[in-house]
Amino acid sequence: MRSITHSAVLLGAAVALTIALPAAAQSFRVQCPTSTITHPDPTNAGVNSSEPAYIGPTTLGLNANGFYAPTANVNGAIKCQQVAGGDGYATMADGTQTYMFSFGPLSGIADIAAGKPGTQFPSVFNTQYPGTLKAGDPATTDGASDAPYTVGTPTFNWNGAVGLTPDLPFLSTIFDISEGCSSSLPGPCTATPATVTVVLNEPSAFNMGDHVVISGTGTGYDNTVANPYWTVSAGAVPNTIFSANQAFQFTANTTGLPQITTSATATVASVPGIDGHVDPRQIIDVGVMNGNIPAPLMAIDEDDEFFLTLSNTGMIMRPDLFEQHTIHFHGYPNASSVYDGVPDASVAINIGGSFTYYYLAPDAGTYFWHCHITPPEHLQMGMVGQLYVRPRQDRVPAGGDLFAALALQQTDLRTACNSAADILCSNPLPAVYTGAAAPASTVATDPTSTAGYAYNDGDGSTYYDVEYPLQMHGFDPNFHFVGMTFNPEAFVDMKDKYFLLNGRSYPDTVNPKVQLTQSSDGRVHYSQPLNSIINIPAGKKALLRISDLSVTEYSTLASLGIPMHVIGYNAKLLRDQAGNNMDYYTNSITLGGGESLDVILDACQVRAADGSCTTAYTKGSVFYLYTPQLDHLSNDAENFGGLMTEVHIN
Amino acid sequence: MIKVTTMNRMLSLSLLLAGALLSGAAVHAAAPGITGGTATTTGGPVFNLTAQAASLNQPDGNQVYAWGYGCNGAPAGFAPTMPNQTCGTMQVPGPTLIVTEGQTVTVTLLNGLPTAAGNTSILFPDFQVTATGGVTGLMTNEATPTATPTNTVTYSFVASTPGTHAYYSGTQGDLQIEMGLYGAIIVLPATVPTACTSGVHASNVLAQSSASAAHPGVTETDFRLAASAYDHPASCYDREYLFQFAEMDLNIHRTAQAQAALKAGCAAGAIGCSLEVPTEPYHPNYFVVNGRSMPDDMDPNYDAVYPHQPYNGNPHMHPGEDTLIRVIGQGRWQHPFHEHGNHVRILGRDGNLITSATDPSSLAGPLLFTTTTTPGQAFDGIFYWTGRGLNWDAYGHNPNSPKVNGVFVDPAADPPCTPDANGYNTGAPLAVNYFEWCQDHNKPLQAAPFGDVPSGGPATLPDANIFTNGAWYSGSPYLGPDATNRATGPNSVFQPSNVQGNPANERGYAFMWHSHNEREITTNNVFPGGMFMMMLVDSREFVIDESN
Repeated sequence: MRSITHSAVLLGAAVALTIALPAAAQSFRVQCPTSTITHPDPTNAGVNSSEPAYIGPTTLGLNANGFYAPTANVNGAIKCQQVAGGDGYATMADGTQTYMFSFGPLSGIADIAAGKPGTQFPSVFNTQYPGTLKAGDPATTDGASDAPYTVGTPTFNWNGAVGLTPDLPFLSTIFDISEGCSSSLPGPCTATPATVTVVLNEPSAFNMGDHVVISGTGTGYDNTVANPYWTVSAGAVPNTIFSANQAFQFTANTTGLPQITTSATATVASVPGIDGHVDPRQIIDVGVMNGNIPAPLMAIDEDDEFFLTLSNTGMIMRPDLFEQHTIHFHGYPNASSVYDGVPDASVAINIGGSFTYYYLAPDAGTYFWHCHITPPEHLQMGMVGQLYVRPRQDRVPAGGDLFAALALQQTDLRTACNSAADILCSNPLPAVYTGAAAPASTVATDPTSTAGYAYNDGDGSTYYDVEYPLQMHGFDPNFHFVGMTFNPEAFVDMKDKYFLLNGRSYPDTVNPKVQLTQSSDGRVHYSQPLNSIINIPAGKKALLRISDLSVTEYSTLASLGIPMHVIGYNAKLLRDQAGNNMDYYTNSITLGGGESLDVILDACQVRAADGSCTTAYTKGSVFYLYTPQLDHLSNDAENFGGLMTEVHIN
Repeated sequence: MIKVTTMNRMLSLSLLLAGALLSGAAVHAAAPGITGGTATTTGGPVFNLTAQAASLNQPDGNQVYAWGYGCNGAPAGFAPTMPNQTCGTMQVPGPTLIVTEGQTVTVTLLNGLPTAAGNTSILFPDFQVTATGGVTGLMTNEATPTATPTNTVTYSFVASTPGTHAYYSGTQGDLQIEMGLYGAIIVLPATVPTACTSGVHASNVLAQSSASAAHPGVTETDFRLAASAYDHPASCYDREYLFQFAEMDLNIHRTAQAQAALKAGCAAGAIGCSLEVPTEPYHPNYFVVNGRSMPDDMDPNYDAVYPHQPYNGNPHMHPGEDTLIRVIGQGRWQHPFHEHGNHVRILGRDGNLITSATDPSSLAGPLLFTTTTTPGQAFDGIFYWTGRGLNWDAYGHNPNSPKVNGVFVDPAADPPCTPDANGYNTGAPLAVNYFEWCQDHNKPLQAAPFGDVPSGGPATLPDANIFTNGAWYSGSPYLGPDATNRATGPNSVFQPSNVQGNPANERGYAFMWHSHNEREITTNNVFPGGMFMMMLVDSREFVIDESN
């Protein structure tokens, strides 16, 4: 789609209608504009579907509408994702299938199945599936089956938004159409030849950049197979006939076209396009019972605009519940209430509805997300996921000085960190200049790279070669059974019996395949796509983005043999206001529910002064991450398993 | 950038205000407590406390038998005064003792517990305490339940470090602290740095205390106990709240109540004149902040409904105000206290300011979005909210709002936003948009034209019928009554019916502050409840009364 503008007008009309008719309803919808006031794309070139290099702050200028908009050097991109709120089943490490209230992927579903973030650029999100989506996809198309256990052939490779379908065209009748300077334009006329002014019989829904089809004039204004549409060059054109909001302009192929007034047949229509309109059948087909634990992984970059749509597909196993869901972006600084996801302080999304959360990516760090409806219930039942924001520093051109790049960030008040004035800023310029320079490529700018930085450190101290999300959680099987069977739930005696890393317990944590579960709809679903194998090339560094969403207790994760280098906590770089790094080494970390922490595991025993590895860990060696809360090394009745995974040196 | 002349005028006005306060204007406090008289021997404050039994109100209707510290006679004063202020003979938490750094503090404790409960005492773990009277106990001198004079014990110590500190029973703590014998001491710094009473902090005071365009004819009272938490210019604050976290296992309380009743009248020290209350296994079912469970915690301080739970948990603040949160873990469990809306800078713990190893003028405490409360430990942290980085104008300012003769019909529709060196509109303390983040001024959120707010923004807010509105939802994405009215109209169907949580004259941004071990936001198995409060960021139009 070109932009959200024309659907916005339609929606505006719908909202106006709603005031008159409160019973009006609206079904699912997604939002993923290709351009915005923050990320313009005047030539419709798709510039917001890639991450530009960071060479300094976005240049802002005061525009005609009285606000600061980018004029040059635009940083960041647009990212979109859609998730379903509903229910599903997961398979525990003892083989038990556990009922969940859960989120499932409704975009980026091939990437999610592959254990990657489902967050997409508009160029990917706004694509329709070329075939017909099947219930249970992508597992169904891949041929996954439960008996015998097989994940099938991962042939499903589409990452667009489930449900997208072209919207109906917007149609208007034309009152007057003329080319160049005509009597429909007020003097002194400055229109150039070939500029066509179209005056409608009603307010125009067509804005700059929209594609329109003109027919019924019987002249060169009409579109043909060879020339399927015109591109609107200006909306809201002052004219001598009606008010400006009933006119628009485009540029014709020829000059000398006649003026046609009060035509009975001339019409203009928008080209049916992908504009966020969806077919609810697809959302239901794919979204029902497709719950994942953890919920779909999200990753965005600083300066991105993130359009996150939650579509509530309902909980088919609990038809008695009219359960709303929300998304809480945990840790978002200076949040607004409306997008904070707390139902008491905002809105909650009813079954059959969609809501698009809008965020400008906050400061880099390891965050997480979850539903905020009745949190002790919905979190315990599985509505928890991971979300991280990658730093601007990932986009510094190869070889660029990281300190200088961080200094540049100080020149935009939005990205600056001035300890003297802002008690909540965490990444002032480092006290020590290390001369660290940007690597050849990072995960932000090169899809084949896995390297990056956890924070805008300015000294390279948070560099990693590979990153792994690692979410701790616990399931109480009694509570989940009660949650499935229409009984009142008790919170006091909630007692977790499954201790999960990325939704699985040992040994499932080290099963490299996607974990699938046959649900009560008879279909096999990819229920737990993320394994927790920490693969580190010998001599390299792995960033563990650890979060804890336990509902009941504090959780400890220990490392056997390979030290944990803690560099960030609660999505903030560990650095004091004077610029000294406060990172530390340990072999265990403890988090409460609602906390996150960044750990680097370094598969190098001795590093030279320049940071290169002189003595790497032995290839093929295995280390363990496990909980020293020893009763948590169990899978319900099995006295084996639990919160544990392996670190493999490759 | 603030013009120098403006700043000078602000400063002189704030000095006038300070004079007014000193001359006896009423002052309320959000960390309410009591002050001590003056001991003839030490010159420091004296607090006469007692430990007694009473019942606590819980929102499920249960009256939970508990023990608490209270005032043995009227206190010397309340710091500062507040409507309906009282200090009864039993309250949970105990009276908040407000003293000043360097003072010699004297606390006497009269044991008024049931005889079978035995001795009791107070520990002040952050200070060097001299105990006299009573009888020798394991950890300190204890007061006996009967037999004058040993049923009174006296503790004396120098309040050596500023900040927030815990006090609690040093006798059979697994039972007595569970029963409610805990409280807080707030030690005010001996010297408030001038940075805390000048510059932006002075203009924050001015914004509150002036009858301005934001709140015509009404002023807002300064509720602080001081202007800084420590003797350090990085510890300035504009507002403060005290939250004490604890949990209660109803079985323990009922067992203690039954045994105390059964053994009423027994002779102290006689065989069998004691309570045998199992404190394990432990299944707490009440998770309280300042002795109250949500929603009771959001009722006023000293509300007569809660005669033994005088302190609330109902934080409000305006954009840009540095808000000091004083938090103590008083139970036996840790609780991950999640502050929605922004991070918290930990200033210090147990009165120990955390500063940089290389530069004592710089802070080094962590920045947290979830602050662990730990048994026996207090922390001081600074929180603020400004809306920086939202990428849309939270006030819905609209430069195309209707004008007559070039003047906005609604004067708050688009007042100027002049950024200071940090990007905020701090040069205009009397403006309705004081402390607005200027880089997003006038920047639209909504794509479609909608009410009297700007359009052309990135987001489309769908049909409100697919939503369920929360009791604290303002009815619009925007901050404050003016912005919400411009977005939705004063009588719009979008206006939720709530009048209690976030009424028409408030329309703030509500953020949930709660334990993220989520089962602790329940009251005796019922959600919602427990360790849960709504923090309101209020536009300047709303007058915050922290006594509520």
